[in-house]
Amino acid sequence: MSGVTTTIIEVRTSPHLHGPLSVDMIMRNVVYAMLPLAAFSVWQFGLSALVLLATTTAGCVLAEHILCRANGNASTVNDYSAAITGLLLGLTLPPGFPLWMALLGSLVAIAPGKLLFGGLGSNVFNPALVGRAFLQAAFPVAITTYTPTLAKARFAEFVPTTWTMPLMKPPPIADWISQVRVDGFTGATPLVLQKFDHIYTDPWPMFWGQRAGSSGEIPGFLILLCGAYLVFRHMMDWRIPVAMLSGAVAAAAGFHLLDPARYPDPLFMLFTGGLLLGATFMATDPVASPVTPRGMWIYGVLMGVLTILIRNLGGLAEGVMCAILLGNALSPLIDRLTPPRPYGARKPEGAI
Amino acid sequence: MNSVVMIRFLGVLSLICGMLIVGVNIVTHGRIQINQETILRESLIQLLPGMDHQTVYVIEPSGELAVHTGGETTAKRLFAGYDKGGKLLGVVLEANERGYADIISAMYAYSPSAKTVTGFTVVEMRETPGLGNKIGTDPDFLANFKALDASHPITAVKHGTKKNPWEIDAISGATISSRAVGRLLANSIREMEPVIQRNKERIERGN
Amino acid sequence: MSTTTTPPNPFLNGLWRQNPTFVQILGMCPTLAITNSVRNAIAMGLATAFVLVISNGLIAAIRKHVPKQVRIATYIAIIATAVTVTDYLVKAISIPVYKALGPFIPLIVANCLVLERAEAFAAKKPVIPSMMDGAGMGLGFAFGLTCLGTVREVLGAGTFLSIPLFGPNFEPWVLFLLPPGGFISLAIWLLVFATFRERKQRQLQAGLTEIQPAEVRS
Repeated sequence: MSGVTTTIIEVRTSPHLHGPLSVDMIMRNVVYAMLPLAAFSVWQFGLSALVLLATTTAGCVLAEHILCRANGNASTVNDYSAAITGLLLGLTLPPGFPLWMALLGSLVAIAPGKLLFGGLGSNVFNPALVGRAFLQAAFPVAITTYTPTLAKARFAEFVPTTWTMPLMKPPPIADWISQVRVDGFTGATPLVLQKFDHIYTDPWPMFWGQRAGSSGEIPGFLILLCGAYLVFRHMMDWRIPVAMLSGAVAAAAGFHLLDPARYPDPLFMLFTGGLLLGATFMATDPVASPVTPRGMWIYGVLMGVLTILIRNLGGLAEGVMCAILLGNALSPLIDRLTPPRPYGARKPEGAI
Repeated sequence: MNSVVMIRFLGVLSLICGMLIVGVNIVTHGRIQINQETILRESLIQLLPGMDHQTVYVIEPSGELAVHTGGETTAKRLFAGYDKGGKLLGVVLEANERGYADIISAMYAYSPSAKTVTGFTVVEMRETPGLGNKIGTDPDFLANFKALDASHPITAVKHGTKKNPWEIDAISGATISSRAVGRLLANSIREMEPVIQRNKERIERGN
Repeated sequence: MSTTTTPPNPFLNGLWRQNPTFVQILGMCPTLAITNSVRNAIAMGLATAFVLVISNGLIAAIRKHVPKQVRIATYIAIIATAVTVTDYLVKAISIPVYKALGPFIPLIVANCLVLERAEAFAAKKPVIPSMMDGAGMGLGFAFGLTCLGTVREVLGAGTFLSIPLFGPNFEPWVLFLLPPGGFISLAIWLLVFATFRERKQRQLQAGLTEIQPAEVRS
């Protein structure tokens, strides 16, 4: 609890609420909460994941600093939000993602995704997802090229695609993958396998981190643990992840009951792709989500259902990113529909 | 200003505009027809190398063939291409199939005697640029259609797993579009093969 | 229009000062739809310019006889005629251009730029200036489309006018060939031109204190 005791010295007028949470303190703790994920990712993927996360984080921080200065404003990198964006972006990318593309994604996340709207507090969308959406649309092949976890020489060599020359195509890595893979790895995530080849993956090993995927979305247990830390520090609202995950589970269960052969069970849906990571660290972006508890429930359930709809019926294998971006876009509307009731006010007769 | 003046004005204007359009149409009509024939011939020669002349058939709803005499048609067409000596090189068929994004419409060359697909070209598609739209440009993918066995239902298989002569080696990263091409060919051949075999001699004669 | 100075050259006006794409933001449908290659952009721009010259000329010629209440219907009839004629001519003259533009030429009718020039300029001015205006606006439009097309083709395909720029290993930014790429490149160009204009205006205001500018426009 060192964070609390150091900032509590601030002099404030009444009302004297204890433990005031400043923005940069919350943001700093979110970074702390993501560090275990980053560490796990580096353990799983080695050097490539390390330089990828470092690149996106440094890229976002630098972009924010330089653009703030270019606009003649004070730099806002000290509030840690740019670092969060960078780290999150890195965690959502495949571990062997070419660094020049990652850097471009960082720039897109910060410039149009955040600063164009007026910086922290004014952005409509989660900046990290804006960056990822751009990368997904621009480089659809690179962003779906996954590499195996726990490759033997992962701390000695890079994934061949990591150091692709700027503007150039990443080299083909099918041969490299067949050399380093531990088991029958095909370079496809469980969602892709399920959707296009109808190969089912057992959910529980996935929960403990045994599958292919983006660098930070794999260890389900760790994501929940880190999320729980933030919830207990009152730095994150538990309603959004809970609502999103239950929305997804309910929708997936509905589909599964309709046609068990085509649509996988809810547990599989819960532990694959970026659902846990998205629900915990992206959907909860306090700027782009509704403010009232009721609004948060609506927002979360909506995103969960959308995720499953995209996964089951859409052309893409993964739907978390689009679902959260759509949820972000709808959140002002949700706020309008669920205004907080002023203290002491009574509902008018006949209103819902 | 009363309405009679307005109506008279618009009437005269429409008359002049109409006459102008008709005039330009008359002047350019012949040239447009020649151009459209050139476009058609170019794509046919691409599919049937060495083709000298062609006969265009319209496939009637009853499944019968009728020689097409020109003008626009909404029915599917069958083109029979012949070399200089009048020998049938093969037929070209039009086919549509739902792709990743919207309908893929394509033409393919088919040899009725060998029962093989000998060429394939995309006429119109909205597949993702850089990925799915490679089905129209990727040389490795198009090499599938140099001699594709059509006596067995055609299917597209994952990149690098082609084993049988009726399988299409899909483009890596564009499996959905590649499979759509497989379905396009399989469906069209299933439908057209009886029609072609029934009219084989007629197509060979070209009447 | 200021009365103290000579009116600006209608040709240059459309090409730069009132550029349809970057200043008036008109005709966005073709601007976004057909700019994924430079060749398409230039061809569409020129086809629109051609239609603009004809329609502006015809409308200016009959402007004194058009009853005010039916003028929009009149303009549309004339524009539609000009577009149909262009369509036939393109079909007859060039196969490659027709292949690239075939589905788009009929859409020129719906390009609000053409109607806007008819109402704002050709309806009030003599034939020659109107045609000049049409040519200037049309070429300005073509310039705008080419700017967008350049960004989209260079980034989206790594080529300019189908000439490869970065060698065979270039990774195309597929996004720029897709519709969102149109919006993004339009935004980039608008940003560039807005910055440029603002800077110029600031310079002008700084100079105002010393010399009265020759022309102050409303």
